[in-house]
Amino acid sequence: MVGLAREEALAHDEVIMDDADSDVEVSDSEDDSGEEAQATPSENAIYNKVAILEKLEDIAWPKNVDWMHKLTIEHDQGGKVDVNDDLARELAFYTQALDGTRQAFEKLQSMKVRFLRPTDYYAEMVKTDAHMHKIKGRLLSEKRRIEEAEERKKAREAKKIAKEVQAEKNKQRAKDKKEQIESVKKWRKQRQQGGFAKGNDDVPDLNFEGEEGFKQSKKKRPGVSPGDRSGGLAKRGKEGKNRRSRDAKFGHGGRKGLKKQNTAETTNDFRSYKGGESQTKKRKRS
Amino acid sequence: MAKKRKRTDAPAEAAGADKPDDSAPERPPRTLFGFTEPAPDAEAAPAEAGSAVAPFRNKEKVLITCSRRIAYRYRHLMQDILSLLPHAKKDSKVESKQSKGSALNELLELRSCSSCLFFECRKQKDLYLWMVKSPGGPSIKFLVNAVHTMEELKLTGNHLKGSRPLITFSTNFDEQPHWKLVKEMITQIFATPKDHRKAKPFHDHVFAFSIVDGHVWFRNYQISVPHNEIDKVDKGGLDKMTLIEVGPRFCLNPIKIFGGSFGGPTWYENPYYISPNQIRALEKRQKAGKYAKKVKAKVRRKMHEMENTLEPDEFAELWKGE
Repeated sequence: MVGLAREEALAHDEVIMDDADSDVEVSDSEDDSGEEAQATPSENAIYNKVAILEKLEDIAWPKNVDWMHKLTIEHDQGGKVDVNDDLARELAFYTQALDGTRQAFEKLQSMKVRFLRPTDYYAEMVKTDAHMHKIKGRLLSEKRRIEEAEERKKAREAKKIAKEVQAEKNKQRAKDKKEQIESVKKWRKQRQQGGFAKGNDDVPDLNFEGEEGFKQSKKKRPGVSPGDRSGGLAKRGKEGKNRRSRDAKFGHGGRKGLKKQNTAETTNDFRSYKGGESQTKKRKRS
Repeated sequence: MAKKRKRTDAPAEAAGADKPDDSAPERPPRTLFGFTEPAPDAEAAPAEAGSAVAPFRNKEKVLITCSRRIAYRYRHLMQDILSLLPHAKKDSKVESKQSKGSALNELLELRSCSSCLFFECRKQKDLYLWMVKSPGGPSIKFLVNAVHTMEELKLTGNHLKGSRPLITFSTNFDEQPHWKLVKEMITQIFATPKDHRKAKPFHDHVFAFSIVDGHVWFRNYQISVPHNEIDKVDKGGLDKMTLIEVGPRFCLNPIKIFGGSFGGPTWYENPYYISPNQIRALEKRQKAGKYAKKVKAKVRRKMHEMENTLEPDEFAELWKGE
């Protein structure tokens, strides 16, 4: 047997196999991966089944050892598990452990052994409390991140929808305005045609009831008149919460460019001109 | 903690059946549900063993050491395994010169350990694990891959330190003799002895050893099952059982099996094993081959052009004058 012959040759202590083996045949350009080349050349590897089984008998625990000492379960793996598919592999391990645990628990339960940890049993755990705290923190932060991402997504969608709705509303408003103007024109024409002899028909037949009554225009700023260029911010009497400190820090806000208006006050306002005549003269010279 | 045993004879709980019993077989213990039968294993035992065999006591002690210049990740793996096995003793680092042969055997005798897990790290990159049974037992050398320690925050489970694990194997361990040997050694090393001082009474974690693609994969899970009592699972609770991974994780690639401890005749060589050095050398050679290939291709192209010259181009002179 080849195995025995080898055994005699290697009777001395084996050195740890570290240096490159000589039975690797790698042809330079034709091989794409050396691992495939390895599978066949080392088929003459040693395999001394007899000796292995003998030694196994030597070291094994006696056959009639109570299961409680070993606590081992065997589980059939089923089909071949693909090593590279991480999910399938981990699933295979998980099902093996789960199945094994179920069997073991059934056995333990039938043996009436106390095997489940009560909730008030405090003892040293294999991971410290500080470590578990870190794990918890990480899980919570992940959850928070996912939730924020979802909220942002939802906000984006809502904004899109809101934009569409706003566009619709604007269109509707424009249409209404046009309609109203058209109807006034029509009424005027009618009056002209009728020669103003229709009697006291001041009010145009605008069919108020059809339009759900007179809708209050939904202005965004109820206190602001349309001609007010400052947007209602010019006269702001009462200060809000620490308004003064904020003004001091960030400057007075809100007076919308009133400095650039061409009003009666500003035409006669020559504060910004300092020695204006001399400046113009200077410019003309240069 | 486990309640103090009132029986002063054999420590094993089911040893009541193993006890030499000359009288008629004792009445099975009476429970709420009537008489229960003792485990069939225990019934067979007194018939076979008679009064000669002392009850089995697992007196396994594992020595865990590593070589010098071990990387941090592997050191943490070693510490994790140490915390999983309460019957393990840690020893100081072993010099690489000493790690061959006799020094480690002496260490084992000195510490009176029956097995050893020796982590050998080479070039701070490759980790080899030796599983050795002490007095003249077989030794197996593995290459360790895919190491994840318990420190990783993705492994969220936790269990009692020192509780006895349930060990599950996949059935392909029984297919070949060398796998059977591996299985036996794993069982003896990783199973916590029943009445060890540091062993805790409950079973709340499970090891999973499986063979996939010629490698042994190890996983450690925490068992979480809804229960109100400590010796019975809730009704339907077995279906609601979940496993949470505790860690660590590693993958073992068997290299050789030797007849003696840390040496001896080689009984098994893994034909598919390639040492990491060879893999690295191959990769380097492939990368180096790129330039050589380019140069060769250029030369080939030149030869080809010289051999098959093109016909003179009619339109080459067309724009010459301008």
